[in-house]
Amino acid sequence: DIHMQYERVGADVTMKCGSMDWDAAVTWTANGTDIDESHLNGSYLILKNVDLSQSGQYSCYEGSSWHLKYQTYLRVGTPPKEPVLMCRSNNYPKGFYCSWHLPTPTYIPNSFNISVIHGTKDMVCEKDAVPKNRCHIRYLQLFSTVKYKVTLTVTNALGKNFTTLTFDEFAIVKPDPPESVVAKPVPNNPRRLEVSWQNPSSWPDPESFPLKFFLRYRPLILDQWQHVELSDGTSHTITDAYAGKEYIIQVAAKDNDIGTWSDWSVAVHATPWTEEPKHLTTEAQITETTSASTSSFMAPPTTKICDKGAVVGSGAMAVCWTAGLVVAAYSVLFI
Amino acid sequence: MAAAESPSAALRRRDLCSRGIRLAGKMRADVVDLLDAYVEQQGLDASASVAAVEGVPLAAVERWDEQTGTQRLLENLAAYRAFRALLAQMLEEQREQLGEADAGLGRALAAVLLQVSAFVYHLEELLRLESRGIPGEEGDGPPPPPRLSLFEQKLRGLGVLRELAQWAVRSVRDLRQLAKPSAATSAASGTAPGLAESP
Repeated sequence: DIHMQYERVGADVTMKCGSMDWDAAVTWTANGTDIDESHLNGSYLILKNVDLSQSGQYSCYEGSSWHLKYQTYLRVGTPPKEPVLMCRSNNYPKGFYCSWHLPTPTYIPNSFNISVIHGTKDMVCEKDAVPKNRCHIRYLQLFSTVKYKVTLTVTNALGKNFTTLTFDEFAIVKPDPPESVVAKPVPNNPRRLEVSWQNPSSWPDPESFPLKFFLRYRPLILDQWQHVELSDGTSHTITDAYAGKEYIIQVAAKDNDIGTWSDWSVAVHATPWTEEPKHLTTEAQITETTSASTSSFMAPPTTKICDKGAVVGSGAMAVCWTAGLVVAAYSVLFI
Repeated sequence: MAAAESPSAALRRRDLCSRGIRLAGKMRADVVDLLDAYVEQQGLDASASVAAVEGVPLAAVERWDEQTGTQRLLENLAAYRAFRALLAQMLEEQREQLGEADAGLGRALAAVLLQVSAFVYHLEELLRLESRGIPGEEGDGPPPPPRLSLFEQKLRGLGVLRELAQWAVRSVRDLRQLAKPSAATSAASGTAPGLAESP
């Protein structure tokens, strides 16, 4: 029989060689390697102040016959510290989930038990397959002032610990960040950026439970964010961007009435449209624009001149310049 | 078979729902401020649990998404009528206890009472639009409770304001459901609009 033995880091461990007498001649091995006799007290193996590296398989053999008399698997670890527990509703009003982890590893197996009480009623938190340390609950009631009490107990062979969270229904509502954030320059507008996004897909009913949004943006060269709060819609036009500067933009979401703001969305980058610098061009290289714009200058801000494949949001208005005289004449016609 | 709602009735309903949502939103903000002031001035612990008090309508509801439009309106109406009476009683008790010493709290209570009364009227208008009879007020709520001690009055007041704050959020949600076009025919036919199941 192989035994399993759990011991705390720093403990002194004594292993007996099964039913062998104290004065029997034995040999102990650790993971197949003989253990020096200095660690023996008679036939007992003494390990002082054990550390994690001493986890392994320990075997005891009778001295002359080398018959295996005892075998144990030693796991050195620690009792659990108070677990970290978090509960959140990112799919209100369907339900909420709780997830947990240990602040420091124990190095031995742990089991977790979670209990949820709403008033006097026990609720079942169904464990998720993935991730493991998570369970979810469906709301049976909405708009209750009665708090939820969630207790998580973690147990291992060396001890147990627990933590409790108490909260009300509204306090834990926190949507996931908005998805598919896109920022584009606006043609012929050097100070504008058009930003759009979508509701997080985990939010089940945005029509009945609308979200509001918080947009923040700044040029990469500055640290200060600009903020805009938007009570409806999933798009916004920034109108005070610095011309020609690359911006970083993020969006967060919150239920219109309750709870807290989501984390910030993935950041997107965009640079406002910029006027293409004038070059000396020949008459043969001028191509006509199709837009009704009075400006004949046009090039996507982040792309090379006349590189149509990289044009973003500029439509069919790429123009290549050739001669200076033709440029002047053209300008007079269209400005 | 549900009768189709006339375009003018649909517009009127959406308009009443929109205004009701704004009213409920404002009411909630004011109730939350009032709650903070009440807790402080009454010397209460904000985190104290208050057992359900007789006569205070609980906002908590099961299967909220399965309610019909009419159910939502009737439950809201019964609740806010009860709050109207409870707030009037709190105002009276406030004046008896403190006289003019705490006029600010009294004014805040009176302001919320006014909003609750306006909301009751709003709900009655919506019910008329749904061609539903408006229940008489005699049937609303239990008879007045026996005289409470000062401390019991304070705790009841805390319970009243907390539930009112919850109701204000619930009412916003209820009115949003009512404002949906599908709510019109289902309210008339008595079937629940239901929420679409997310994938």
